[in-house]
Amino acid sequence: MIEEPYRWVEAIANRREYIEMQLASGSPIIALGYADGIVLLTVGRHKLFEIYDRIALGAIGHPGDIERLRMAAIELASTEGFTRAAADVSLRRLAYYSLSPVMKNAFEQIYGAPFLARLLFAEIGATPADDLFFRVEYDGAITVKQSKEEESPFAVLSGSQGSAEQMEEFLRKEHRTDEALSTALELALDAWTLGQSGATGTNEIPSREQLRELRRERLGNSIVEAAVLERQSRLAVRYRALNESDLAKLEQR
Amino acid sequence: MDSRTQPLQWPASGAEDFPELLRRRGILAPVHQADTAAPAGNFLPTESTTILAFKFADGVLVAGDRRATSGNTVVYDRADKVLEIDRHSIMAIAGVPATAWEMARVLEHSFQFFRRTQLQEMSIDGKVRALSKLLRDNLGFALQGIGVVVPIFATFDSKALPAARLYFYDAMGAQFEATDFAATGSGSPAVRGILYYENTWGEKPLQKLSRDEAVVVALRALDTASEADTATGGIDRHAKIFPVMKIVSADGITTLSEEKIAELFRERVA
Repeated sequence: MIEEPYRWVEAIANRREYIEMQLASGSPIIALGYADGIVLLTVGRHKLFEIYDRIALGAIGHPGDIERLRMAAIELASTEGFTRAAADVSLRRLAYYSLSPVMKNAFEQIYGAPFLARLLFAEIGATPADDLFFRVEYDGAITVKQSKEEESPFAVLSGSQGSAEQMEEFLRKEHRTDEALSTALELALDAWTLGQSGATGTNEIPSREQLRELRRERLGNSIVEAAVLERQSRLAVRYRALNESDLAKLEQR
Repeated sequence: MDSRTQPLQWPASGAEDFPELLRRRGILAPVHQADTAAPAGNFLPTESTTILAFKFADGVLVAGDRRATSGNTVVYDRADKVLEIDRHSIMAIAGVPATAWEMARVLEHSFQFFRRTQLQEMSIDGKVRALSKLLRDNLGFALQGIGVVVPIFATFDSKALPAARLYFYDAMGAQFEATDFAATGSGSPAVRGILYYENTWGEKPLQKLSRDEAVVVALRALDTASEADTATGGIDRHAKIFPVMKIVSADGITTLSEEKIAELFRERVA
């Protein structure tokens, strides 16, 4: 069957459609630069992970696939950090050299199972200009977001392309880099609400007030999960999962 | 292929032990089988002594002198033998630093690897056991007389019963939990004598000492150890080199500043 090229293309297209459908219901993940570093937020449990001292991961997809990719990333970063130094663990290398080829390969081997996962990595640097965001798709495609001076750094991950674009448009307008953590968390949760409601069909981005209203509805009794990568820390490990008391101040939980 | 340039190893090996992962990738040497043959020539490994730790009012004080020797040569007089492993754990080392620092590095990465992969902090028992396993794996070198390490491990248990915990080990990996104090290294007999005396007949038991009082006891003990043991640096009055001291408490690890130690030394020891 795959001797015929068009069949292969067709199979790949079908596979893409299938994966997109599987991922569509994923809870969006938002990563924002704020005054003291980067904050990551989502709704749900066990979606944000510590990969290494300065690298965090947020993922959408099948828990089994996320776990395999997460484990591989930790093993690679840990052995690299042990052999050389923590400063030599590079997100760029992790994404391009290690994860992307493996994911692309699995995606294109149409008799094998692809990874049902979409990953968002964030790496904190010495200054905001060194911060990096990488989005790695199930087919190995990588989108890099590096903070530039004129742009405030943020990245999103969502179940669908449309909702991700809406969230990005919203954040481009609303996001400021030098905000306090509490402000950044509120904004991230608003962005999440928008991303989650993306399927409503309207292209108009609701106002912050409307999003607050929606948030009550969308959030229900779900659990907000958040973590930060702190720029100035006495500790080598910059990743810190936010606890109940850090999140208690969020409105309408 | 050079292990450091290998791409992602697939599939990931999963929730295995970190040293095991390093061995599989050829980064850590395989477990050295017991071999009692003497090392070639008159090889003298660099060694370090003396370390001590005891519980006091705020937690555990861990102290170590700064000298590293090889035979009767002083190799280094600013060695750091009191190492932070994680936010609440300290490993202090007596023995061969080449092996000990590698062990500390493996240990530090093991705890972090566990937390990252298992999404929970390793238990105190797990941490204590991990060090025991590293010592056990090193037995071959220890028997050859070129890689003996005798560490002390101090940590804070914030779980069931919040309390500082203190362990010392033998070179084979047996772990012993100390109720009040521990000391290892060539200067340790003198230190143990002093700590025992202080704890039993001193003004108050070690566990009741304030921070400053604890520092003074540690300084006096190390000074006494260096009096008779040439491998122990003690306090270098001439070059103003003081022992390294760290405290493990509920709030984590505090490193005592050299100024503070020097001040207490001037007032109550010198």
